Amino acid sequence: MKDFDKLREAMMAEETSTKLDGVVDQALSKGRKGYLRQKWQKRTLVFASASIFFFSLINLNPVISNAFSEIPVIGKFVKVMLVKNWSMQDENVSLNVNTPKLAGVGNEKLEATLNEKYMEENKALYDLYIKDMEEIKKMGGHMGVDSDYFVVTDSPRVFSIGRYVVEMVGSSSTTIKYDNIDPELGIVITLKSLFKDDTYVDLISKEIANQMIEEMKKDPDKMYWVNDETIPYEGIKADQAFYITKEGHLIISFDKYEVAPGYMGICEFTIPYDIIKDILVSDVYVKSK
Amino acid sequence: MNKKLEAFETYVLNHKDSHYRFVYNYVKNEQDALDVIQDSIVKAMTKLDQLKNVDAMKSWFYQILARTAIDVLRKNQKVVYADFDAIESQLPLQHDVYEDFDLKAALEKLPVEYKTIVHLRFYEMFKIEEIAEILNLNLNTVKTRLYSALKKLRLELGEDML
Repeated sequence: MKDFDKLREAMMAEETSTKLDGVVDQALSKGRKGYLRQKWQKRTLVFASASIFFFSLINLNPVISNAFSEIPVIGKFVKVMLVKNWSMQDENVSLNVNTPKLAGVGNEKLEATLNEKYMEENKALYDLYIKDMEEIKKMGGHMGVDSDYFVVTDSPRVFSIGRYVVEMVGSSSTTIKYDNIDPELGIVITLKSLFKDDTYVDLISKEIANQMIEEMKKDPDKMYWVNDETIPYEGIKADQAFYITKEGHLIISFDKYEVAPGYMGICEFTIPYDIIKDILVSDVYVKSK
Repeated sequence: MNKKLEAFETYVLNHKDSHYRFVYNYVKNEQDALDVIQDSIVKAMTKLDQLKNVDAMKSWFYQILARTAIDVLRKNQKVVYADFDAIESQLPLQHDVYEDFDLKAALEKLPVEYKTIVHLRFYEMFKIEEIAEILNLNLNTVKTRLYSALKKLRLELGEDML
C-alpha cells in the first residue's frame, strides 16, 4: 500500500500550531469545570492550571455507598466512620484526605491494627504532601492529593472497604487498596488465604491475560500491556489488590499504570468461579453463583 | 462516569494535531482553527453525559468539530455551501502537464469538501457510514467525493480501501 503511506505522510506534514497545546489544556480545564460542577456538587474540586499539569478523576466502583458524607456508614455488622479529615485548598495546592475508622470488626486487636494503619498511612501521605508543598509553591506549580474510602461489600462474612489515593502532580496517579474482613471470625481475608496453594498467582494471572486480549479484540480503543515488548505484563502479585462482592465474586484490581496506559485508569477483572474452584479453600467467601 | 471524562481527555490530548488539521481545512487560518478546537472541547465536555457509548467518542467528537467549524465559517460568511457537486461537475477536466506530481501540493489544493473526507477516511480510519454521519451527508455523496478526491490526488488505492 505504498500510495496509502504516501498519503498519510503528506497529511502528517500539514498544518500545526505552536499554540495548540496551550489552547487544548485551557479548553480541557474549562470543560472539566463545567462537567464536574454538575456532577459533584458536594465535593471539593481540584483545578488545573494552564500549560503543564492535567488531572484525571478515578473510576469509582458503582457500589460505593455514602463515601462522601460524614454520616457513619451503618453496616449490618461493621461500622465505618470518618475519623479525620485533612483538607486545604489554595491556588497552588489542594489536599483532601479522609481517614476511616472501623467498629464491630469482630476482633478488637484486628480492629485496632486496621484503624492504626489507616491513620498512619494517611498521616504519612499528609506529611509527605506538606514537605513537597513548599517546593511546588516556590515553583508556582500545582499539586493535589485526594484520598477517601468507600465500602464495597457489607455482608455477614465479607466486609470490603476500599481506600483510594489520587495524587496530582503533573500527571495523576491513582491507587486503590482494599481490606477484606470476615466480621464473624474477626480476621482479614488475604488473597493468599483464599487458596490451597500458591498456584493461584499463575492461574489468575493467565486468566486476566486472556480477558485482556478478549477485551482489546472487542474494543480497539482499549489497551493493556499484555503481549507488549517494552512493558511486559507480569501478572498479579501474591498480595494483589482484590475485593469480594456481595454475590461472592472475586474481583482483582490494578492501579492506574499498573497493567495499562494511564487513560485506562483503574483496571478490574472478575475471576470466574470455574477457573479457581479447584484451588479454593472453601466457598465461604468466593461462591459459585 | 469519570472514566468517560478521563477517556475523553486522553483522546483529545492524543489526537489534538489531527483535530487541528481537520479543522484548519475548513477555516484556513490559525486563530479560527484554535477557536474551533477550544469551543469544540468545551462543548463536548458539557455534553459528555449524552454520549452513551464510549466507542462512538471519536465520531461523536468529529461531528462536533465539523459543526463548530462550519458555524465559524458561516459567522465569517466566508463560505456559502451551495450545491458543491453540481458546480464541480461543470468544471473542465484539468490536464496536468507537469511530470513531477507533488502529492503534498495537491493535497493542499484539495477543496475542503474533499479534504475532510480524505482526512476522516485515511487518517482517522473512519468507515464510510461514520463519515456520512459526521459530515451529515448522504452515503453516496461521501463515496463519490472520495473517488474524486483520490483521482485528483492521483492515488491508486485498492477497492477495499474505499
